Amino acid sequence: MAVLGQKQHAAVFRVIADPTRREILGLLRGGRQTVGAIAGNFRMSRPAISKHLRLLRSAGLVVSRRQGASSVCELNAKPLRAVNDWLKDYEAFWDENLRKLKQHVEENP
Amino acid sequence: MNPADANDTIIKEIIIKAPAERVFEALSDPEQRVQWWGAEGRFQATHMESDLRPGGAWLMRGNGMGGRPFSARGAYRIVERPTVLEFTWLADWHEEAIQSLVRFDLEEKDGATLVRLTHSGLTSARARENYKGWPWLLALLQAYAEKRVAANIL
Repeated sequence: MAVLGQKQHAAVFRVIADPTRREILGLLRGGRQTVGAIAGNFRMSRPAISKHLRLLRSAGLVVSRRQGASSVCELNAKPLRAVNDWLKDYEAFWDENLRKLKQHVEENP
Repeated sequence: MNPADANDTIIKEIIIKAPAERVFEALSDPEQRVQWWGAEGRFQATHMESDLRPGGAWLMRGNGMGGRPFSARGAYRIVERPTVLEFTWLADWHEEAIQSLVRFDLEEKDGATLVRLTHSGLTSARARENYKGWPWLLALLQAYAEKRVAANIL
């Protein structure tokens, strides 16, 4: 049971619950982009976009590095595996429980 | 069930060679629940409180991996003996409180019972609205996996 849900999962869930941040991830799926290019896709201010990028970085979903005068962002989808694993954990959880229920009922009619 | 919810829903079925009434009893009787709810070496329920009626609360405690205690709680929504048992599910091992819904449908045929477990709302109603389903997530994961393949690190 301890394998279910960990801190990282919650952070990832929280970060991707926001539509703007999901849209940013979608943009980066197409390849790396500068902060300026990302901001160009949105109506909100660049500082607001930078704030979203900061949260994405803190969850490990975006990696960025300096390239000349600009900062280039890249998608790192690895932490999303935590979300997927979490669902899979629940699948295993119910498999076990149902198996034990069957055993219990059939052995104790 | 709303098909739009299907992406974060787990459905499991098992056939138990016993009447539905017997299965319902094992599901709903706290003393029996702690006898079977668990998985070898992973977790085991040790205590359950249950007010078995629509709106009634339930609480379960037990030991998880490495003896770490866990608890889960919720309220019954549907109690239709011996065919439907539905309750909300809130487990303390989620960092963020995500309340989901667990439903057992029991269908007896020729002395055996088909048990269908449906666990829905796993990403929370709010998150689900935003996710627009799991395909979005899966697409990103696919991108990740393909990139790893391309980079020859898988």
